[in-house]
Amino acid sequence: MNSIADMGGMHGLGPIRVEENEPVFHAEWERRMFGMFILAFAGGHFNVDMFRYGMEQMPPAEYLGSDYYEHWLHSLTMWIAANGSVTEEEILARMKEIEEREAA
Amino acid sequence: MGAVHEDHNHHRSRVALRVKAVESLLVEKGLVDPAAIDKLVDLYENKIGPRNGARVVAKAWADPEYRKRLLKDGTAAIRELGYSGVQGEEMVVLENTPTVHNMVVCTLCSCYPWPTLGLPPNWYKAAPYRSRAVIDPRGVLAEFGVTLPDGKEIRVWDANAELRYLVLPERPEGTEGMSEEALAELVTRDSMIGVGFAKTP
Amino acid sequence: MLSMFPASGVDELVATGGPADREVDVAPRFKPGDMIRARNIHSPTHTRLPRYVRGRVGEVIEACGGYVYPDTNALQQGENPQHMYNVRFTAKELWGPDADPGFVIIISLWEDYIEPAN
Repeated sequence: MNSIADMGGMHGLGPIRVEENEPVFHAEWERRMFGMFILAFAGGHFNVDMFRYGMEQMPPAEYLGSDYYEHWLHSLTMWIAANGSVTEEEILARMKEIEEREAA
Repeated sequence: MGAVHEDHNHHRSRVALRVKAVESLLVEKGLVDPAAIDKLVDLYENKIGPRNGARVVAKAWADPEYRKRLLKDGTAAIRELGYSGVQGEEMVVLENTPTVHNMVVCTLCSCYPWPTLGLPPNWYKAAPYRSRAVIDPRGVLAEFGVTLPDGKEIRVWDANAELRYLVLPERPEGTEGMSEEALAELVTRDSMIGVGFAKTP
Repeated sequence: MLSMFPASGVDELVATGGPADREVDVAPRFKPGDMIRARNIHSPTHTRLPRYVRGRVGEVIEACGGYVYPDTNALQQGENPQHMYNVRFTAKELWGPDADPGFVIIISLWEDYIEPAN
């Protein structure tokens, strides 16, 4: 698809920002997201081409404005919803539960 | 500025919460083993990284026969040193010479040779590098502090398929007689992507 | 078929990965030295043919062999392996007469993405 991901040759996307002494993972959620991608792949939820296709379908403004592993989160949640494993409603409900539990 | 920063932090905490929720559901439904996540994280955070690729490069500098094997069949030669597998199943090594400088990008996503370089840095996966490497490689190199002589050809490789590229940087001056271990210390990750040179001793 | 991948399998999974090369029954249509044109096709679904090479002429530098075809694999319509080629484009061909003459771009193109240049 002629998606935002197909960006070779685009102008105006800004200077290259190098983070000095960048860690492999910036936060715990990046670690867990990395692991879940590999395991969902190995568990048969998608092949690598499906996974990339999922990322390409992210709304362009979100794609450009988000952290890298959010692209992975978008594709993962798209495919696990598509195959009926985990729905968006379940995710939102679980987020609420966790939030309430952690606030207590 | 403060408000934007606060918004980013709020957004990130929502993302973190969402990831927690997804993991919790996948584990509960017996689809993901959290111990497997732990193992994967440990491998890529602590064990697999650019020091692997540096050893490959140092061996190629020190051993002309290995260099020939590496350029002929990168996958097999890299596997000789024990590096193989996910996102490195098929390796192609690109030799920098006095007349050619190689640079690697994945314009469409973030493809990168994990077994030799570990996971890519954010700048490699982000829009500025991905968009500009194929249209203004000299400008990109300048941002990395690299200036090439005018006569040198730049070859930009777009890693859009499953071939994974590793740049073999030129061996720096003044390194004669150095051990492979010492040579490996000079090989930077950026030199193996093609946005830098190896260090001089 | 969905399954839970066990922690005990992680080391081997990481060391083995998932190679994408496949046997293809037909002979490759192109060979090194051939001038090809990347087709002006605009798939609305997944493809690894970026816009910046479409319609442009390049030189085949290597016939890489057969690989899983991403365009159909992404739609769960099968691997449909086909021959893939590394193709070199000059900067001027891609970016116009004012482009820096000192660089080239090399990209992998599956056989369905290309046609003879003439």
